[in-house]
Amino acid sequence: MNTKRFVVSGAGVLALGLLISQSAVPPQGALMAATPQAAVTASTAAATDAATQRQVLNQFCSGCHGQRAKAAKLDSAVRLTLDDLDLAKVRDHADIWEKVVRKLRAGLMPPTNSRRPDPSTMNSLITWLEGELDRTAVTHLPAPGLHRLNRAEYSNAIRDLLGLEVDAAKFLPPDDSSHGFDNMAGTLTLSPALMEAYLSAAGRISRLALGSETAAKQVVFDVPADTAQNHRVEGLPFGTRGGMLIRYEFPSSGEYTFTVKGVTGYFTRVLGQITGEKLELTIDGERVYLFDWDREIGNTTGFGGTSPKIPIRGGFHTVGVAFLATNDLPGTELNRPFERTMNSPGEIPGYQFYPHVGQVFINGPFTGTPATDTPSRRKIFTCQPQTAQQERDCARAIVSTLAKKAFRRPVRESDLETLMTFYNSGRNEAKSFDGGIQAVVQRILIDPEFLYRSELEPNQAAADSTYRISQLELASRLSFFIWSSIPDDELLNLAAQSRLRDRATLDRQVKRMLADPRAKAFVRNFTGQWLNVRSMEASEPVVDLFPDFDDNLRAAFREEIELFFGSIMQEDRSILELLDADYTFANERLAKHYGIPNIYGPQFRRVTLGPDLDMRRGLLGKGALLTITSQAARTSPVARGKWFLETFLGVSPPDPPPGVETDLSKKNGNAAPLSLRERLEAHRANPVCASCHQIFEPMGIAMENFDAVGRWRTTDEGVRIDPTGVIADGTRLEGIASLRGVTRRYSDQFARVVTERLLTYAMGRGVEDADMPMVRSITRDASKANYRFSSLVMGVVESPGFQMNMKAAAGAPQRAGR
Amino acid sequence: MFITKKHISRRTILRGAGAALALPFLDAMIPAGSAQSTATKRPLRFVGLFVPHGMAPGWWVPTKEGSGFEYPFCWKPLEPYRDQVVLMTGLHSTSAEPPPGVTGADHWVAAAFLCAEKPKKTAGADVRAGETIDQIIAKKIGRETLLPSMEFAVEDPGANSSNCGEGYSCVYTNTIAWSSPTKPLPMELNPQVVFERMFGDGGSPEERAARRERNLSILDSLGPKIAGLRKEFGPGDRVRLDDYAENIREIERRLEIARNASSVAPENLDVPVGIPQSFDLHIKLQFDLLALAFRADITRVGTLLFARDLTNRTYPESESPRTSFHGGSHHGEDPARIEGFSKINQYHVKMVAYFIDNLRRTNDGDGSLLDHSLVLYGSNMGNPNQHLHYDVPHALIGGANGQLKGDRHLAYPSKTVPTGNLLLSILDFYGIQQESIGDSTGRLEKLV
Repeated sequence: MNTKRFVVSGAGVLALGLLISQSAVPPQGALMAATPQAAVTASTAAATDAATQRQVLNQFCSGCHGQRAKAAKLDSAVRLTLDDLDLAKVRDHADIWEKVVRKLRAGLMPPTNSRRPDPSTMNSLITWLEGELDRTAVTHLPAPGLHRLNRAEYSNAIRDLLGLEVDAAKFLPPDDSSHGFDNMAGTLTLSPALMEAYLSAAGRISRLALGSETAAKQVVFDVPADTAQNHRVEGLPFGTRGGMLIRYEFPSSGEYTFTVKGVTGYFTRVLGQITGEKLELTIDGERVYLFDWDREIGNTTGFGGTSPKIPIRGGFHTVGVAFLATNDLPGTELNRPFERTMNSPGEIPGYQFYPHVGQVFINGPFTGTPATDTPSRRKIFTCQPQTAQQERDCARAIVSTLAKKAFRRPVRESDLETLMTFYNSGRNEAKSFDGGIQAVVQRILIDPEFLYRSELEPNQAAADSTYRISQLELASRLSFFIWSSIPDDELLNLAAQSRLRDRATLDRQVKRMLADPRAKAFVRNFTGQWLNVRSMEASEPVVDLFPDFDDNLRAAFREEIELFFGSIMQEDRSILELLDADYTFANERLAKHYGIPNIYGPQFRRVTLGPDLDMRRGLLGKGALLTITSQAARTSPVARGKWFLETFLGVSPPDPPPGVETDLSKKNGNAAPLSLRERLEAHRANPVCASCHQIFEPMGIAMENFDAVGRWRTTDEGVRIDPTGVIADGTRLEGIASLRGVTRRYSDQFARVVTERLLTYAMGRGVEDADMPMVRSITRDASKANYRFSSLVMGVVESPGFQMNMKAAAGAPQRAGR
Repeated sequence: MFITKKHISRRTILRGAGAALALPFLDAMIPAGSAQSTATKRPLRFVGLFVPHGMAPGWWVPTKEGSGFEYPFCWKPLEPYRDQVVLMTGLHSTSAEPPPGVTGADHWVAAAFLCAEKPKKTAGADVRAGETIDQIIAKKIGRETLLPSMEFAVEDPGANSSNCGEGYSCVYTNTIAWSSPTKPLPMELNPQVVFERMFGDGGSPEERAARRERNLSILDSLGPKIAGLRKEFGPGDRVRLDDYAENIREIERRLEIARNASSVAPENLDVPVGIPQSFDLHIKLQFDLLALAFRADITRVGTLLFARDLTNRTYPESESPRTSFHGGSHHGEDPARIEGFSKINQYHVKMVAYFIDNLRRTNDGDGSLLDHSLVLYGSNMGNPNQHLHYDVPHALIGGANGQLKGDRHLAYPSKTVPTGNLLLSILDFYGIQQESIGDSTGRLEKLV
């Protein structure tokens, strides 16, 4: 029997007793804690150990966290006293002990300049506490509950269901996030605005899928104003510069026009003084029109120029708008040309800019006729009726296939009955077979079983008892975890045959899914939120101070992180390589920023980081993360230190108490300017601030050799950077390399943090203290495989949190919190 | 007048679509002789219209206070409606002045027009102004309509979202409607998008009607499905399913409104694809849509931004076709250039008059839409040459359900009465009693 257990290392006791076995389902009751005998043995041993650990606590902790300190109104003791907590009953204060364990694991306690136990004593304390917490753990598996698709999932589901590329971010309102992610079941609520958007999307998407949308419309595409357009954009023809590449689903066959506007400034004047520019409009790489910029676009105040009507076949095409690179480079009056090639909203006297594309509008179709052959139609029409008699059977076949995919389960007769009513009415109204199918697609897209994921509770089960979710529900959990989309046929069929939960099958499926291109969604959505790369979009370093910062760099930063994380995933490397891997990915723009020579062109490639690029190793050297942890005009060692603490050690410092001065601007009158470090130190003179800031500020200071956009530097405003400092465990930091050393030393804690984030993302609910035994168990197992990426993902997928729910108490609509 | 007490149900109108189109929709809907048909019961619509860059000094202030004054050049197009027009002079837009010690701000304060609150100087995402009165009013009277409020633009803000100059976010010049101090509402440029929001999408009235009916039948069919799922779900999921069901009902309600409203969409209303290139055509179309939305009770509150601050747009249909708006506003106190600028001001007022005329021609209960509207048109600059924010031009137009006496010029002593006082008094017309708003120091004297 291949049984997976959660075992406490060292203690040798069956911990949670949460058995996941594919060969035999244990009765519901057996899912609760350990066997009575094991528990008795353990508790005797625990009593002896408790006394030992109490001594350690008394010796090293009670000075600040004891009754006497509390009587003396010491802040630390007011927040937390440990000497009144019974170590024989760790479970009674599990929330406190989890915090203690977390701080100890992160090396943050005892604080700087306090006496510390030797490493083995410390380790024994932590292991014992964790052992007690795990041994006495209470089953905690609240169901995430009815789970609405978020925007990314909706777009992907449409792609996988109908073969149609849509961007739901353009027509659905944004989703709320909690616990750091926007796929939390409890947070994905519904509003009339969203419902209305779903309804109108259902109509439009169904018509797009059938190629029957023939009414003319205008669609807008923006180029961010700080996009440099002096170089070729990847995907656009060689010999062009700037512009934009649009991937667009043309609703039906017909004539379309394209309106192009330039980037405009203050006075709605089109910017760019260089004349004689030609702008090429291409469809799938073929030129269809050539704009004379000066005559058609440059002379308008922001209205732009419109192409003649161009006939285009309905379906997916790429539209290119780019300048021909035949015109001379801007004048040589520049002392130093900046990477950013346009300064909107104004112009700088003495500088010349090329004109830049600001917006592209696609108008049409004019005189549209339904498309007949598109990827979408090929996907939907699994059969084509040759005679009127065949229509009904063919419709049933198509509807069954669509409904199975959309509802993520085998189709029932009752589903077909409802949907065929819509087929009939659509068929009659439009007097065509297509019209019937279109009506069905439209109806499916608004169905609660499409828009929501649900997991049913067994009726008979008692309140608070645990149960395994069905194999079909498991298929959905897997696909939404790894693909942010609906399961494919293979997953659904395995689930329908009850074979998916089999360990070997599951392992094969997870590996298959991770290798699939759809797993790109995991990289994008998970790293985008875990590392907050999404906020890159909104970061706007002050242009006067960082004139090289442009949207191209912003995009390159994002791409680097995704490729880096993606390589860990695809090559199944250890997640610890995120800390210090000796390679990264760069294109010309990023290489220039990092000072990497000999890399040309907009495409990315793997770059080995030798000794001279040592500072770029691991997450700590990545421009995206260094930029989003900075302010617009300067770095913020406080924000970076806090980010370091949260990302690598899993500890969030509390917010500053109300009313404290957080302004670090230079306010020393006419005296010589203070360095940022000096200003920080002055600020730390305040003991209220110092208690927390001395913990994480040295970490931020160690990153000071990176400026606010992640460039390497040795001075700041003429003052030499001093990146040294001492952290709580006594380690002396000398800059970025030594800080990276810290992440290595605490890599087990990093692995635990990653597991927590993964589990949160995978389950769609927040990980709480009560989940920590599960987190530790997954991490421990993965450590045996050196934290290879797949071992963590498999650990999550096989965990009770992913495969089991707990029935809510009757009458209590209790669900996992928001 | 015949009093028939015959109330035509909304559905009847729909079924007899062809015939019903000719009927003034709202009249037919109101049971004759019922309390609803009296003027005071008609909703009081609100419109806020902002124009940047002030007005040409010497060309817009009436020489005489009170009634029967001679209309000055800039306001001339409103003269035919003078019975329902109140011109105000001498008001002070303190909210448009930069806070002490802050530079810039002069041109980045359209957002202050309807809240009288100084926008926070930032080019980042932490924008902050005030809740604007159109939104305060919409929260009170816009709940039952399809759209609580409608926001219109006639000038493309482009892709700009951050710094629009002097460290002020573009959002302050892009919209005059803020649903909260931190939530600016985008203003819609594309009449086609506005039209679809009002009447649904589709290329023809028949297509729109067919799509609406399809949507209604889809929502209808969800009833049994939800009931079935409800039986299977646990108590927690039932709460979320009920939320879904509730939203379905709300959308059904809106579709019913759109279904009824569509009977007043004139078949000859030509809504082009995309954005008209001519300002004249564009703004008239936006005004037509707003008037239509009032008439069909699709909304009761609208705002429109005539231009973005600093625009150098020219108005070929005006009498000064080659003067750019911002360039012309810096007239250098040269009489000839001031005169040129005044022609742009008059042209803008002419566009207001186009809208006012539409409201006056449209029956609404026992009066016209204009009788049941309050339109505020103004700028928060006075003499734009020096960026002065006192002696700013403002006009209130409409009967305000009998609450506003027209044909008046109210002159206030310069630099003493903040525009917040006017906003506070406007809220009074809607029964919204606030202590203060923005820079207000009290109610606006002499208004009522």
